[in-house]
Amino acid sequence: MIHAVLIFNTSGVARLTKFYSTLHRSSQTLVHQIFSLVSTRAPGLCNFLDAPELESFLTAQEADGEKLRVVYRNYATLYFVFVVDSAESELGILDLIQVFVESLDRTFENVCELDLVFHFDEVHHILSEVIQGGLVLETNVEEIDHQVQRAAKARKESFASANPLSLGSGVAGGGSRASGLSSLGWLTEKLAGVGTK
Amino acid sequence: MATNMRGLTQFIADIRGARVRELEEKRINKEMANIRKRFKDGNLDGYQKKKYVAKVIFTYILGYKVDVGHMEAVNLISSPKYSEKQIGYLAVTLLMHENSDFLRLVVNSIRKDLNDNNEISNCLALHAIANVGGQEMAEALAEDVHRLLISPTSPTFVRKKAALTLLRIYRKHPDVITAAEWALRIVSLMDDMDLGVVICVTSLVMAIAQDHLDAFAVCYTKAVDRLNKLVVEHEYSATYAYYKVPTPWLQVKLLRLLQYYPPSDDPTIQGVMYKVLETIMNNCAEPSRNVQHNNAQHAVLFEAISLAIHLDTNSPLVNTAAILLARFISSKETNVRYLGLDTMAQLAARTENLTAIKKHQGTIILSLRDKDISVRRRALDLLYSMCDTDNSELIVGELLRYLKVADYGLREEVVLKIAILTEKYASTYKWYVDTILELLSAAGDHVGEEVWYRVVQIVTNTEDLQAYAAKIVFEYLRSPSSHESLVKVGGYILGEYGHLIANEPGYSPMDQFQVLHSKSQFCAAPTRALLLSTYIKWVNVFPEIKPQLLNVFERYRHVLDVDLQQRACEFYALASRPEDDELLQNVCEEIPPFPARESALLGRLKTKGGDKSDTPLERASTTRKPIKKPTFPQPNGNGNATATNGNANDIASSLMGLEITSSSNGQSPSSQPDPSQTLAALAEKGLPMLTVGPNVDRWFDKLLHSAEGVLYEDVQIQIGVKSRYHGHLGQLAIYMGNKISAPLTSFTATLHVDNQDALSATFAKIAPSMIAPRTQSQQLVHVECKTAFTTPPILSVSFLAGSHQTIAVRLPIVLTKFVEHVKLGQADFFERWRLIGGPPREAQQIFPITLDESGHVDRNKQRQVVSGFNLNILDGLDPNPDNIVCAGILHMSTDGKVGCLMRLEPNREAKLCRITVRSTSEDVAAEVMKLILKPLKADPAS
Repeated sequence: MIHAVLIFNTSGVARLTKFYSTLHRSSQTLVHQIFSLVSTRAPGLCNFLDAPELESFLTAQEADGEKLRVVYRNYATLYFVFVVDSAESELGILDLIQVFVESLDRTFENVCELDLVFHFDEVHHILSEVIQGGLVLETNVEEIDHQVQRAAKARKESFASANPLSLGSGVAGGGSRASGLSSLGWLTEKLAGVGTK
Repeated sequence: MATNMRGLTQFIADIRGARVRELEEKRINKEMANIRKRFKDGNLDGYQKKKYVAKVIFTYILGYKVDVGHMEAVNLISSPKYSEKQIGYLAVTLLMHENSDFLRLVVNSIRKDLNDNNEISNCLALHAIANVGGQEMAEALAEDVHRLLISPTSPTFVRKKAALTLLRIYRKHPDVITAAEWALRIVSLMDDMDLGVVICVTSLVMAIAQDHLDAFAVCYTKAVDRLNKLVVEHEYSATYAYYKVPTPWLQVKLLRLLQYYPPSDDPTIQGVMYKVLETIMNNCAEPSRNVQHNNAQHAVLFEAISLAIHLDTNSPLVNTAAILLARFISSKETNVRYLGLDTMAQLAARTENLTAIKKHQGTIILSLRDKDISVRRRALDLLYSMCDTDNSELIVGELLRYLKVADYGLREEVVLKIAILTEKYASTYKWYVDTILELLSAAGDHVGEEVWYRVVQIVTNTEDLQAYAAKIVFEYLRSPSSHESLVKVGGYILGEYGHLIANEPGYSPMDQFQVLHSKSQFCAAPTRALLLSTYIKWVNVFPEIKPQLLNVFERYRHVLDVDLQQRACEFYALASRPEDDELLQNVCEEIPPFPARESALLGRLKTKGGDKSDTPLERASTTRKPIKKPTFPQPNGNGNATATNGNANDIASSLMGLEITSSSNGQSPSSQPDPSQTLAALAEKGLPMLTVGPNVDRWFDKLLHSAEGVLYEDVQIQIGVKSRYHGHLGQLAIYMGNKISAPLTSFTATLHVDNQDALSATFAKIAPSMIAPRTQSQQLVHVECKTAFTTPPILSVSFLAGSHQTIAVRLPIVLTKFVEHVKLGQADFFERWRLIGGPPREAQQIFPITLDESGHVDRNKQRQVVSGFNLNILDGLDPNPDNIVCAGILHMSTDGKVGCLMRLEPNREAKLCRITVRSTSEDVAAEVMKLILKPLKADPAS
C-alpha cells in the first residue's frame, strides 16, 4: 500500500502532502526528514531508498516487520516522493509517479510548480483519481483526465448557477499563469528557477 | 477551482510574497483570525464558506496547525452545489482522520451522496470513506458501498472506487464484510471488460483472499486466465498500454496474487502459467531504449521471477531467471542493479542449490562498494542469504573488511550479520574466535553483549582453544586502543587461562598484568569490576605479581562506586590471608564448562554446550523478513524470546526465510475441523452448496449408467455431459449452453474433488469467461481414477446474467465408470466366486422391487442397468435363468486392477431381490453394490 504521497521542491518546501495511513508524528518533521534523505542523493543513484528512520511515523502498532521504502523521482525543481510498503512493486510505483505527472500535465498543460501552488485543490482532485485510500485506482492517463474533466464540468456548472454573472473561467490551462515560468520539463530535465515560496 | 476565488488567490500570492517566515506567519495568523471571526458571526453563504475553507486547507497544506473550519467543511458536504461539496470533501479528507469526532456528523451526508443519482457525487462519497473511514463508517456504509460495487447500473468509474472503498472498510472492520459469501460475486468482477475495474477489484481480492484463501480460491484461475489474455494473447484495450506494456500494474498485482497461494497442481493451469512467465521473460531479452518502457517491463519481470521462484525453485524458468538476474546485478542502471540484488536474495533464501548464485559472488561483493547506499544494503542482504559453509570464510572476511568502511547506519546490521554467519557456519573454533575478536576490535560499539558472552562460553567449553584464545586476545590488548568489549573478553580469558601461556616469552604474568591494567582507566565501572575479578584469580596462579595486585585492591578500597569498593575490600581480605590458606584456591577454582544443550542452530559448531541468548537471532529473523513481502502473519519474533532450544528449528527456519509461503496449509479444508455444512462454512472452505431441484438427482442417477445426457437445466443454462472411459482414464465433454438472449458473463467453472489422492478431475483448458447468447461452450474434463473413491466430484458454475448465479452439481463420475467388461466361463466364474468368499469381501442386500404391468420381474430393465454399470452379463452361467450374473474389472492407476463379480436373484412372489457383489477389495464390493442397487430398488413412494 502507498502510505504517503509528497511533492516538495528542491528547497524542501512541501507542495503536496497526502497521507493514507494515520501519522504518528508531525507531518512537517516527516517531510523534512524525507527531504534530507532524498535531496542529498546524486542524480545517478537509484530511485529507491530504504527508510528505517521513517517507520515510527507511519507504521501501525501491529505491523512490526513492515519495511517502508521511499520511491522518488525528480522533475526539474520538484521531487515526487511516494512512501510505500513491501506490497508494492518499486518499479510499478515509479511508473505511477510518471502517470501522475502526465495527468497533471494534461490538466495544466506544461505543468510547473506554480500550478501546484495556486491550484492545490485541483492537484488533490487529480491525485484522488490516481490513488484512492493508498491503492492504485486508475493508471490510464486518458481515463484519469476524463474523470478530472467530468468533475471540472460539474463544478463549473454549479459555479455558473451560483454566479450568473461569472463567465466561468476555464478549468484547464488557465490564462492566469505567469508567463516565462518554465515547465517541469521531464523530457528536457531543464532546471527552472522558480522561487521557493 | 481556486482561481475562481479571488480572495484565495490574493491570500496565496501574499504568502508567496512573504520574504521571511515571520511575515508569512503574520499573514496567516491575520487570515485565520479573520476566518474565525467570520465563522463565528455566521450568516455566510455557500460561496464564502467555500472560500474560507479553501484558505484553511491551503494553510494546512503549508504545514500550519489549523483548528477552524471543520464544522463548515461538514456543512459544505451537504451543499447541493458540486463546487462547494467538492471543497467540503477535500477539507474532510485532509483535516480529519478516522477517529475525528466530526466524522460522525458526515455519515448521513455521505450515505445520501452514495445513494445519489449523480455518479460524481457517489465518487466523492466513496473517496471520503476510502480516505478517512473508520470502524463506525464501515458499519454504517458497508452495504451501500457493496451495492455500488455489484450493481449492474454503476458506471465503471464508480465501481472502481467502490472496490477500493470496500477494501478500506475491510481493513478497518473485517467483520462487516461477509467475505466468504461475497467471494464468488467479488471474484466474478475480475472478468470485467474494463481493465480499470479489474485493477481495483484485484486489489480488493488480494486483501481479502489473504485471510480467506480457500473461499477465494477461484481467483487463482481468473488471475492466470487474465495474465494469459494480457501477455500471450494481447487482448486488452489500447489505452491501457503503458509505454507499450499492457497495464503493468495489473500484471504485477496478478503475479503477486498468485504468490499468495500454494502452487496449483492442475496441469492445465500450470501449463498456461508457464507460458505466461516464459513470455514475460522472453519479452525482456532485448532491453529497449525508452526508460519508461524498460521500467514497466522490468516491474513485471521482477514480479514474474518472484512467482517462478515461488512455484518451483528447480524449474527451467528459474534457471532462465538466474541468468537474467546475473545480468541485472551488473547493469548500468542503478534501479535494475538494486532490484536484481533484491530478487536474487529472494532466490537465495528459497532455493537449496546456491551454485547459480555463487557464480556471481565476485560481482555481489563488488556491489558492497556501490556508490548507492540502497544498492549496498541489498548486496549485504544477498551476501547474508547466500552464505553457507563453503563460502562463509570468504563472505565473512569480505564483510569484516567492509565493516571498516561501511556507512554508519549500516554498521549495526553488518555486525549482526557477521556474528550470526560466523556462529552458523563456523568450520573451526579458531576461525570463530579470530573472527569475533576482529569484529569486536573493528566495531565494538555495534556489537551486542551476547556476542562476547558467546566467545567466552565457547572458549570455556573447548579445552584446545583456551591457550590459543588467551594468546590472541593478549595480542589484541597490546594494540594501543582496544574496545571495551575486547577488554572484557581479555579480562575473562586471561584470568581463567592466562596461566597457560605465562611461560612463553612475552606473555609473562607481569606482561599480562601491565597490558590489561593499562586499559582499566579507560573503562566503565562494570568492566573494572570484571578486571578486579581477574586480578583475584591471578593472585591465586601468579604469586609473583601479588604485591602489584594487592596494591590495586588497596587503591580500589577507596573508590566511590559501591560495587567496585565492595569487590576491592573482599578481594583484598581474601588475598591477604596466609599463604597456606585453602579458601583462595577454592574460590578461584577453574570454572566448569557451561551446561551442554543441543541446539540445531549451533550444531555445526559442535560445541559441548552454551546457551546463547536468542536476541540476536531473533533480531536477525526480523531483519530477514523484508526480503520478501510479508504475505501472511508471521510467527511473532517476541514469541521466541522466552523459549530456549525447543524452537531452535523455528528460529533456524525463519532465518532461512522459509516463512514466506508455508502458512497456507493452515487453511486447507482438511485441517479445519468444521463439521457444520452451513453455506458460510462451506463458502469459507471454497466449496459450493449443491444446487437442489426436482430433476437434479434424477439427471444425475440416469447418467450414472449411461454415457451421455442432460446434467442440469434451467431457464438460463443447460449443462450436458458426454463421457468416454478407457481403463483408469476418462474424458468428459461438458456442454454448457446459454439459453437466453444475453451473454453469460464472468463465467467460471470449477471442479471440486473430495479426495485428490483417489480421483483427479481437471479441465483441459481454462473455461471461457463469457458464453455468447444462444450458444454452447464445450469443456473437456480429464479424469483419472487412482484408488477406490465414494464421492463424485462437484462441478460448480457461476456467471452473471442480470444477477450473479451459482450452480453446483455432482458430476456422474463414480467407481463403476472405470469398470471394463470381462468374459468368464462358468467354471472360472464360480471358481473365483468361491475364492473371494463371504464378508468382508462380499456385500449383500435384499431389497424390494416393482414388477412390470404383466406382473413379471422387469428383466430387461435390470439387464440394462447392470450393463450400464459396465458389468458384463454372463448368460447361461447360473442354473436359474431369472438370475443375472456378471463380471467386470475395475482399473485404478495406483491400486491396479480389481475384479468384481455380481449376482442378482429376483423373487417374483415376494417382490424382493437379492444382490451380492464379491470383489477382491472390500471397499469396491460395497461401493459397487450401493451404486447398482439404487436404480433397481423399488421407489418406496410408488
